[in-house]
Amino acid sequence: MAQNKTNLRRAIVLLALASVFFITLDLSDSSSTSQIRRVFGTVFSPIENVARVVTRPVSGAWNAFRNYEDVVDENNRLQEQVALQEGATVAAAASVRLSQELLALNGLPTLAGINSVTAQVIGETPTNFSQTVEINQGFSSGVKVGMPVLNAAGLIGKVTEVFADRSLVMLISDPDYALSVKVVTMSSRTPITLPALETQDAPSVDSVLDTADTTTTTSSTTTTTTILGFTPSATTVPADVVAGARSNITVPLASQLAVRETGILEGRGPGLRPIVRFLDASTRASAIEVGAPIVSSGGSRSLAPPDVVIGVVSRVVERLGTAGPILEIDLVADLSNLSFLRVLLYQPITESGR
Amino acid sequence: MLDRVFVVVASRWFRLVLVSLLVLSLQTTLFSEVRPFGFAIQILAIFVASAGATHDVYTGAVAGLVSGFMYDAILATPLGISALVLGAVGAGAAVMLQPFRDPTWWLRLLVIGVAAAMGDVVTPLVKAVVGLDGWLEWRILGVMLVTFVGAGVFAAPMIPLARWTLREKAVYGSR
Repeated sequence: MAQNKTNLRRAIVLLALASVFFITLDLSDSSSTSQIRRVFGTVFSPIENVARVVTRPVSGAWNAFRNYEDVVDENNRLQEQVALQEGATVAAAASVRLSQELLALNGLPTLAGINSVTAQVIGETPTNFSQTVEINQGFSSGVKVGMPVLNAAGLIGKVTEVFADRSLVMLISDPDYALSVKVVTMSSRTPITLPALETQDAPSVDSVLDTADTTTTTSSTTTTTTILGFTPSATTVPADVVAGARSNITVPLASQLAVRETGILEGRGPGLRPIVRFLDASTRASAIEVGAPIVSSGGSRSLAPPDVVIGVVSRVVERLGTAGPILEIDLVADLSNLSFLRVLLYQPITESGR
Repeated sequence: MLDRVFVVVASRWFRLVLVSLLVLSLQTTLFSEVRPFGFAIQILAIFVASAGATHDVYTGAVAGLVSGFMYDAILATPLGISALVLGAVGAGAAVMLQPFRDPTWWLRLLVIGVAAAMGDVVTPLVKAVVGLDGWLEWRILGVMLVTFVGAGVFAAPMIPLARWTLREKAVYGSR
């Protein structure tokens, strides 16, 4: 009996030391802990799959009991929303396509040039102290640690652990998540309004549309372009402009163009909005408007390619002294209801080799 | 040689690994979806606390450390954090019952609930110690309450399971 207790004491000391050792190893980004996880994942995966099949009726019944009313309400609301957005989607898709063409023409990176893998969420985090989901794609599909993950709305997180046919995705709301972002806001300065030009000085429609190889007719005019993949749309040019009638021309100031402030987005846990801290402490809160979009800033060391939509500013918190403002963000993606996701096969330099 | 293998397979520690795998699979499937008030019931912590409550401090601590390592291996948190936390939960449950010579069933349930709920406080504390802060918030109270109530419901099947898993019996081939 005494011998048994001595053995147990030794086992406890050994296991506790092993825990401390592995914590240290893991925090220093050692690959050996990833290998341990992979081996364990390979053993555990079949057991988990069986448990998932066996317990599905129970979890299904729980969800039906708890969420039925919400689902009906949400369905009604979404149907209404879909009807409203159908028209806007067509116009937005054309704008996105045009933007991508322009970025490609200028040799700038776009999301369209990055391959992606579609994945389905197969599990939520089992603990109350991490914000992760499990997806059904792993390194056999090309998924690697650090790759950004999106849903139809925008960025939702990054891959943190990869197994053969599944991965763990850390959500953007996890306090351990940080990403460089930019806030796109408009300057509030008044634009200059030039006096009306004489007919012969007014810019002709032809000269404006020349660059896109267009054919234009006046009044009710149809514009066609030769840009590949771009769906042409009917453009109506006001008759008075073409006719050269006197009109005021509003020229935007350079400062009226979009202002981009760069900062770091940090998660704050479930139920709390992520925040953005500015890199430049001199950024003034008055320069940021509520509703301004937040997109990833990109760059060689960023966790995500540029211009991935993340959310909008919901509140600007001013701070005393030299500390810059903090922004609270409303994410465009609903993290509580994730189903199908897209893993961008884009591994940042900072995560390569993992 | 084969006898040694049988000895290992028949040992309570091997049984602990297998049963922990099953409980862990329930944790990652059923109990990650069934979330009362948005909080996951920590069934693995309840199992470990049951092991501590039905055995001694050492057995509870080893059960917690072993199960915790498995839990860590499927989480994105550093390997070893849950092992330390669950080790403390298992040992803590046994320590709390030590003053009582023959604890009643409800006292055992209470201790299991308290020990498992304390694990939900220790987890963010340990995470903060290693630099992963941001989890020490008021919501911990909700997490503790859900785990405590969950222990009241699920400790009943977990106690006999822990007792069966960790019971010592005649080792195969020892005669």
